Amino acid sequence: MGYLLTRLDEKILSFNKTSKKALVAYLVAGDPDLDSTLELMHGFVSAGVDILEIGVPFTDPIAEGPIIQAAHDRALKNNTSLNNIFQLVERFREKNTDTPIILMGYINTFLANAEALKEAHQSGTDAVLIVDIPGESNLEDLGIKNEHLASISLIAPTTSEDRIGKICNSSSGFIYYVTLRGVTGSSHLNIQEAESNINYIRSQTSLPVFAGFGIKTPDDAFNLSKISDGIVIGSSLVQMIHEQSDQKEYKKIYNYLHEMAEAISR
Amino acid sequence: MNNLTDLPNPDGFFGDYGGKFVPETLMHALKELDEIYAKLKNNPEFIEEIDQDLVQFVGRPSPLYFAKRLTDYYSGPQIWLKREDLNHTGAHKINNTVGQILLAKAMGKKRIIAETGAGQHGVATATVAARLGLECHIYMGAADVKRQSLNVYRIKLLGAKVHAVDSGTATLKDALNEAMRDWVTNIEDTYYIIGSVTGPHPYPMIVRDFNAIVGRELRKQSMEQFMQYPDAIVACVGGGSNAMGIFYPFLEESNVDLIGVEAAGSGLMSGKHAAPLNDGEPGILHGAKSYLMQDENGQVVDTHSISAGLDYPGVGPEHSNLKDSGRANYIAVDDDEVLSSFHLVTKLEGIMPALETAHAFAALEHIAKNYKSNQHVVINVSGRGDKDINTVATMDGISLD
Ligand SMILES: Cc1ncc(COP(=O)(O)O)c(C=O)c1O
Repeated sequence: MGYLLTRLDEKILSFNKTSKKALVAYLVAGDPDLDSTLELMHGFVSAGVDILEIGVPFTDPIAEGPIIQAAHDRALKNNTSLNNIFQLVERFREKNTDTPIILMGYINTFLANAEALKEAHQSGTDAVLIVDIPGESNLEDLGIKNEHLASISLIAPTTSEDRIGKICNSSSGFIYYVTLRGVTGSSHLNIQEAESNINYIRSQTSLPVFAGFGIKTPDDAFNLSKISDGIVIGSSLVQMIHEQSDQKEYKKIYNYLHEMAEAISR
Repeated sequence: MNNLTDLPNPDGFFGDYGGKFVPETLMHALKELDEIYAKLKNNPEFIEEIDQDLVQFVGRPSPLYFAKRLTDYYSGPQIWLKREDLNHTGAHKINNTVGQILLAKAMGKKRIIAETGAGQHGVATATVAARLGLECHIYMGAADVKRQSLNVYRIKLLGAKVHAVDSGTATLKDALNEAMRDWVTNIEDTYYIIGSVTGPHPYPMIVRDFNAIVGRELRKQSMEQFMQYPDAIVACVGGGSNAMGIFYPFLEESNVDLIGVEAAGSGLMSGKHAAPLNDGEPGILHGAKSYLMQDENGQVVDTHSISAGLDYPGVGPEHSNLKDSGRANYIAVDDDEVLSSFHLVTKLEGIMPALETAHAFAALEHIAKNYKSNQHVVINVSGRGDKDINTVATMDGISLD
């Protein structure tokens, strides 16, 4: 498969060529509402974000800390469904055709929409990241065959070496290294451990390795970018979006992203 | 046909159901648990230690008791009661925690966590943790903290910390979410004692095995006391541990009817219930594929039951397989039936069942007529009702202050 490069492949190739580190930003679709999510997606890109990770809300998000849990709840109160999110992506693509989009969520909502996922690339989705499946499983194992969608896998500090090999073999796009033992938004970053684990992962795959969970400050971003190919920011953005949900004045967030983008290119 | 007793397969599947659908951080701990359990479960010293605890600490075997007046009342089959309510701490839950705490000890874990709905599993966990001097944290939905306040106080007296969980529906499922989050965070030093045959592999198997003592005793007791195996065994099903424990040793006895009873809450038609096997679809929650109460988008829907221990949208994967294979039947009874049954059994037999257990008794209204007077129906009396006195009084419009 895949002699035609996907949007995600092209983006990653461009990083390789320029040795640029990737800035990946997470937000929950439908928090505070879908129109705001669309605005934020474009704003993120203008502020220097390379890849967008769209959180698909779920009633029982066991890997999330309190900030992202609350965002999932708010999005569900707005009846945000996976189908709404496909439409959101389609609207985003009217103005942006080169920023890769990853849907991140929980397996039960993906399985309930298995048919729609087989077409998801047509509305402009590039990959999925399912939090609550073992790293070595991918969409196809779950009966969802779509060779245009990459399956991003997580590797944790607790993942054993033999499993790292297996996970690398079944992954496409990039590897997402979870920098801590904990839920999203925790603060137990351990740079030394992350460095040695990421080095090991790199010995097993040519895919780029991005680091995420618990990255909040430009310093965190700088430190992790030195040992990885890119970083993912989530909870701090979701928190700021919530704080601005009345005024919908997002400049502060874009400034923050700008600082983060600068920190990783230092 | 596949031998039901040989399940799960090495990947943790009972037919289509089960598995390990968890964040990657937990995979290593699950593998470790699987390995240590495989090693210990046939180890004579380990078995001896559990047996001794079950006899001397829990008070096993629990009696098999002939319920004469209940039998007369229904004038159908002979009704027998397997008295798990007489166990130390008042329910079957202690069978599981006595076993799992030894696994925690063998793995060198210093910190114990658990979720609880009715508080019985919380009490049973805090009890075994206290006995080994281990730090213990119990997660409980805020709504359940209120309706099971007696058990909350017991847990605190035992030295454990109770964390009230406000998120989602503030009931058992949210307590499980929060316990999983704690586990992901404290994976190195923490053992998670899951309280039912739910969660990722190997938990459904381990919890079943530790509860299977109930069914094994029943095999022996029924032969001694009425010279045959029961014609039917009835148990309530929340996550399904008391049911699995008493069903499992009878899976290959095809003449024994296995009847699980779910919570119909305000009625199956109302949608306000906790009966995924009666009115759910296969889905994935808390690490396993199983029947689940969910909407068309795969979101888990709110449940309702008068009983905190059954107020859960999922069910153990082995039950889903028993349902699909037809080996067990699952019915549901509503809150009103349960409350009547609670009063009936209390007055006729001098046994006050837990509201969870009262679901199994309430099933007699539906099934007693299917059996003749020379047949034997065994009810698993999963726990005693002291914890539910406040709820019963409120339902009856009585103030205890
Ligand atoms: C007395 C009693 N019975 C039954 C249950 C339901 O659990 P399970 O279905 O795992 O037996 C509970 C749970 O709290 C309980 O306390």
